[in-house]
Amino acid sequence: MTEAEVEDKRITLAEAAKMVGDGDGLFWGGFGYQRPPIAFAHELVRQKKRNLTVYTCGSEVDLEIMAGAGVATRYEIAFSAIEALGLSYNIRRRVSEGKLAVEDYSNLAMAMRFLGGALNVPFMPIRSMMGTDMVNLRRYRGDDKLKVMDCPFTGDKICIVPSIQPDFSIVHVQRVDKLGNAQIDGIVGEDLEGSRCGKKLIVLAEELIDTTEVLTRPDQTKIPAMYVDHVVVLPYIAHPMMCHDYYDYDLEHLQMFHEMTRTEEGWQEYLDNYILGVDDHHGYLNLVGWDNLHKLHATKPWGY
Amino acid sequence: MGVLKIVEYSKTEFLIACASSHVRDGENVFGGTGMPLLAALLAKETHAPKSNLISEAGFIDARPREVPLSVADTRYYYGCSAAIGLIETLGFLLQAGRIDVGFLGAAQIDEYGNLNTSYIGPYDAPKVKLPGSGGGNDIASSAKRLIIMMAHDKRKFLKKLDYMTSPGYLDGPGAREKWSLVGGGPEVVITDMCQMDFDPDTKKIGLKSVHPGFTVQDIQDNVMFDLIIPDDVPTTEEPTQKQLDIMKKLDPKGIYLGKGG
Repeated sequence: MTEAEVEDKRITLAEAAKMVGDGDGLFWGGFGYQRPPIAFAHELVRQKKRNLTVYTCGSEVDLEIMAGAGVATRYEIAFSAIEALGLSYNIRRRVSEGKLAVEDYSNLAMAMRFLGGALNVPFMPIRSMMGTDMVNLRRYRGDDKLKVMDCPFTGDKICIVPSIQPDFSIVHVQRVDKLGNAQIDGIVGEDLEGSRCGKKLIVLAEELIDTTEVLTRPDQTKIPAMYVDHVVVLPYIAHPMMCHDYYDYDLEHLQMFHEMTRTEEGWQEYLDNYILGVDDHHGYLNLVGWDNLHKLHATKPWGY
Repeated sequence: MGVLKIVEYSKTEFLIACASSHVRDGENVFGGTGMPLLAALLAKETHAPKSNLISEAGFIDARPREVPLSVADTRYYYGCSAAIGLIETLGFLLQAGRIDVGFLGAAQIDEYGNLNTSYIGPYDAPKVKLPGSGGGNDIASSAKRLIIMMAHDKRKFLKKLDYMTSPGYLDGPGAREKWSLVGGGPEVVITDMCQMDFDPDTKKIGLKSVHPGFTVQDIQDNVMFDLIIPDDVPTTEEPTQKQLDIMKKLDPKGIYLGKGG
């Protein structure tokens, strides 16, 4: 292939978010404090998306932002809180107001739903959730939340969960080339399955690398380019959370965020200042301050 | 002449040492964060050096040099034997029956050790949305043994949960078998007043030991179900100075031990 024929999948964050339509479903990458695509959540808010359904195991700040700003109205998730700090106040308020419906699954159940979607099979069997209210109580999915059946081979009880093939998979990685070969360092969480289950995959990466670099360390390519539709390259995509080997979490900002979300007024102030009050991700980073961001830079060999 | 030994400890240190005593050498342990993490690390530094600490985010055989705030915190990475992902830990390890012991906390517990980490109030109009299952239901379903750690508050020890997130013994003997659950169910509940365990026949919760400073009556007054009280209730063992020293080394900044250790 000559140089001219090489496809360049890079687009801007705004262009990527523009593709998401109101009412769409999104697989949401990252796990806990690690690699959440928070910059993408900010842009969905700035573009005033509505009625999104978000599928993930457990995200924290990003789920708070999308629930708080009214971008997402349905979550199919296993976990929402800010680990070590406390409850997710925005989600708690939106659930109590009836503006957010949460269909509850376990972490393994969600990971298996992504695996089923990626494998293009309609459901996956799992051994969790049986006997509890996770099975008995359902919201908008009703009968389609899950089923408990007798295994056709052994006769044992087994839980089957519906696979997911959402409109988009949104995944944040450390490095990518312009073709979309995406490299993840550290744990992958549920991102291998999640990146392959969506109808379209948008990869957000901290760093652009040349394809030659991909070829020297192909084992680090956790998502080959053939799956990837679009690539967005930006620094500090996960701030105030962490990105393995790139930067640590910003505990001061995280505590401020959590404290402000205690009240609706506090949350609206954060929203106005840090998300709606800036034009784009660079505006957000300028507001957080580059002195602060540089302090978060990871130290080798610890990776944070 | 005898040696007078006075060991001073905080409530948190006491609970961590107590939880740590339930981890056995060579076991595969789901540690998470907070007190369970320190309990698992303390066990590894003392009586269970061959135990294998696993975080559900994908870290296997972990020896974190600083305490992680999140199960996915990079602080878990350095010193691991492997860093993989969720299907690995919750699927290949846990669901396949390879995890010996898991730790869970909860907002509510009932007399069969079933746990609520999802909602306070009615499901259709919840007063408080709690974190949810996370990996909790998976761990309670499939770990061979479960150690539960809870703040002791009468409103948390209920006859009927607002929502059952994770299975203890469900509605009694034979229930876990009926649902083909992989794991064995809860072994012990550690609160800031006592330890409780489960009757092997009825699967109902009973008093195992009372922490120093509390009476059997204190415990009975602070649960909303009938608690099985054995004739002889021992006092829970206090932490040793060695355990306290190790805990301070594991968490020198007092992130989970709290101010003043």
